[in-house]
Amino acid sequence: MRSPFARPWSPYVAGIGLGLVVTVSVGLFGHRLSGAGAYQHLSGYAGRSLAPESVYWRHVVPTGLTWDVLVLVGAVFGAFVASRLAGEFRLRTMPDRQWETVFGPSVVHRWILAFVGSFLTELGGGLAGGCTASLAVSGGALLAPAAFVFMAGMFGGGIPTAWLVYRKVER
Amino acid sequence: MTAGEIAAPLLVGAAFGFLLQKGGLSRYDRIVNIFRFRDMAVLQFLLSALLTAAIGIRLLQSFGLAASLPVPATYLVGNLAGGLVFGVGMALSGFCPGTVAAGAGEGRLDYVVPGGLGLLFGALVYGLGYERVMPALSRWGRLGTVTFAELGRVEPWLVVVLFAELVLLVFYWVERVRFRPVRPSAVR
Repeated sequence: MRSPFARPWSPYVAGIGLGLVVTVSVGLFGHRLSGAGAYQHLSGYAGRSLAPESVYWRHVVPTGLTWDVLVLVGAVFGAFVASRLAGEFRLRTMPDRQWETVFGPSVVHRWILAFVGSFLTELGGGLAGGCTASLAVSGGALLAPAAFVFMAGMFGGGIPTAWLVYRKVER
Repeated sequence: MTAGEIAAPLLVGAAFGFLLQKGGLSRYDRIVNIFRFRDMAVLQFLLSALLTAAIGIRLLQSFGLAASLPVPATYLVGNLAGGLVFGVGMALSGFCPGTVAAGAGEGRLDYVVPGGLGLLFGALVYGLGYERVMPALSRWGRLGTVTFAELGRVEPWLVVVLFAELVLLVFYWVERVRFRPVRPSAVR
């Protein structure tokens, strides 16, 4: 049998693993798993000079190498190790083929939409009070209503967008 | 910071990124296809994590081992509106702030460069608009930092059990229903 690290895992198995990580992070350390938060803590470097009077960067979110930023650094490393063990690490500029069926092979097009999309997730995450990791998963594990309202919004925004994008290839 | 204070988040993050990559969440198509009802892996991954952690955290609490818990604030309009914007961005790009890190680790430059810059720019714009938007937005439908158990004044384990039943029902539905697979021509 091939090593379990050489092949993808069932989403149930990987999900249970993530649940254990969340149990440790939230339950033992009192920190929600971070995604969007790290970028808020990094944005202060520019934000503080753009808006020195802003209450936000002075009192609401800290700037610097916080817990969330270190989680982000760890996540890049963890995914690097996983992809190397599976022989899936490869420097690339485009996503998997499905992208090209709707948007074509242009790298510029992909990079613009990647920028717009990630901008919207960070902005939406700020407004909602968290992202998939910090609100849906960590808040959901605490069984807080915020997480489930957020998830309803996430699917409410994602389903029509995906329908619009894939409309022409579905016929 | 002590060595432990640095090592703990790095290890939590490493496990997080490792599992995202193993679950295939660092792929564009996997994220987008949940919104097209073509691939339920994201839902299976998300709900497995939620249920495991809900039980795990509750067990820690029952044994008096839990930290002070970071319950997120519920303000219905903002949670929903932010979620809508978030979902649009997720369906367009095929990632969310957390999976950008996982994609970056796999060598995906579209995650590192435009993804990373978009996230930083989004955080900056949010920060600049914070004082104008958030005081009002966080007032509409505000319930505060509550859990369902506190809101309904019921035993927290009851909520965990009800949630477990709901999750198992969703898993049953996902396994039973035959979703239209991704067309071979779309995958090649």
